Amino acid sequence: MPGMAPDSPEIPDLRKWRLPRGRHGLPRELIARSQRERLLAAVVRTTAANGCEATTVADILEEAGVGRESFYELFEDRQDCMLSAHRVLTDDLAERVEAAYLGEGAWAERLRAALDAALRWFAADPAAARFVLIDLAPLGTPFRARFHDEFRRFLSLLGEGPEGPPRAQAPRAGILALSAAVAGIHEEVAHGRTERLPEKLPQLLYEVLVPFLGEAGAQRERQRAEAG
Amino acid sequence: MSIPAKEKQAAAPGGSVLAPKTPPDVGARSQRRRIIESMLERCAEKTYAHTTIGDIVSGARISRSTFYKRFADKRACFEATVEHCLEDLTRTAREAQEPGRPPAERLRAAIAAVLARMAERPAIGKLLSADAVALDPTVTDRYRRLVGPVVERLWFEGARPRDAGSDPGLALGRARLLIFDLIAAGRASELPRLLPELTYLTLLPYAGHEEALREADAAARSLERGAVAGAGDGAR
Repeated sequence: MPGMAPDSPEIPDLRKWRLPRGRHGLPRELIARSQRERLLAAVVRTTAANGCEATTVADILEEAGVGRESFYELFEDRQDCMLSAHRVLTDDLAERVEAAYLGEGAWAERLRAALDAALRWFAADPAAARFVLIDLAPLGTPFRARFHDEFRRFLSLLGEGPEGPPRAQAPRAGILALSAAVAGIHEEVAHGRTERLPEKLPQLLYEVLVPFLGEAGAQRERQRAEAG
Repeated sequence: MSIPAKEKQAAAPGGSVLAPKTPPDVGARSQRRRIIESMLERCAEKTYAHTTIGDIVSGARISRSTFYKRFADKRACFEATVEHCLEDLTRTAREAQEPGRPPAERLRAAIAAVLARMAERPAIGKLLSADAVALDPTVTDRYRRLVGPVVERLWFEGARPRDAGSDPGLALGRARLLIFDLIAAGRASELPRLLPELTYLTLLPYAGHEEALREADAAARSLERGAVAGAGDGAR
């Protein structure tokens, strides 16, 4: 994947994570950690296949090849496992987006890199994309709280825009910009067009930038993004 | 939730016990209404996924067989509830506008009234922004088909919309998200504070950034003047 930071050892990439089953002679602590990662990867795949409500602990265990006892040593219940996987995925997303945003260049360029990183992250694995944005909604309040936390995290990551604090009064540019990125991604994922997300970069960049830069500035950046 | 055996039987296809005890159909509308209200409240409490027919009928104080006379299943009842909420908000928006006032003012009044309504009855906002989307992530397309033409008619009064660069299709998804985010934080009472942002989003695709911004600023001023109901120290 071009433009992606190498995998951090702290944050497993659940989208690729696989551990061979059976004996592997790892120390106990490592086994527990790998079991956790295996379960987190399994819950994403199982939820994608069955939907949230139909996914049982037994399904997750079977997919992960992990025993029930180990599961309950690591997670309180099914919901805890699901929300933990959600957290690991969004941590990974945030890390990649932040790495891109804190790179070189003018603010608009860094924003483009960050948006590009996000679009590619979602496009790389439609199951993970659905898991993060859509699949866990039936959990109700706990998922909403999770979603809200992430919304705030990305809002503070976006920061204050090109020239320090933006307009003091409403409408708030940051929240408008973030809503464009998230709603734009949600829209494509909901319609099963996740893999084509990177193509949306010019239009979404425009939508994200308009509240900060106005029509002309955002249009200019869109054209630059179209040119590559 | 225990269901009397008699009702279970009545709900079964071709239940012959049904006929003699069925009340005259005069109460059908109010029964339907009670069921929908019950569904709305149960979904707000525990989400659609965790709401059972038993929850709905006990909330509506009707029997299970009555439920199945009005609705084919839980999903059909939910669809009717979505429809009910959309009608509620559409009516709210319509009644808030004073005919003859300038389009910007009418639009602002409509958005403010819808936000106030959802703050007053959070179950409506919750159902439309959370449960309905959980069940069908593409449901915003439907909202868009409802809201888009109304805004265009109001704002342009029949004139052809100017082609601004922003996607009108996206605007409604963004508005939905901002409403969902406040509801997710358990701060539905602050929904009226979204008036400037929603005004901006509504106008941006048609009127462009500058005009949308002017109207959003006007909306912010009307909020400050307290012309719009809703407490809270900002939705930040």
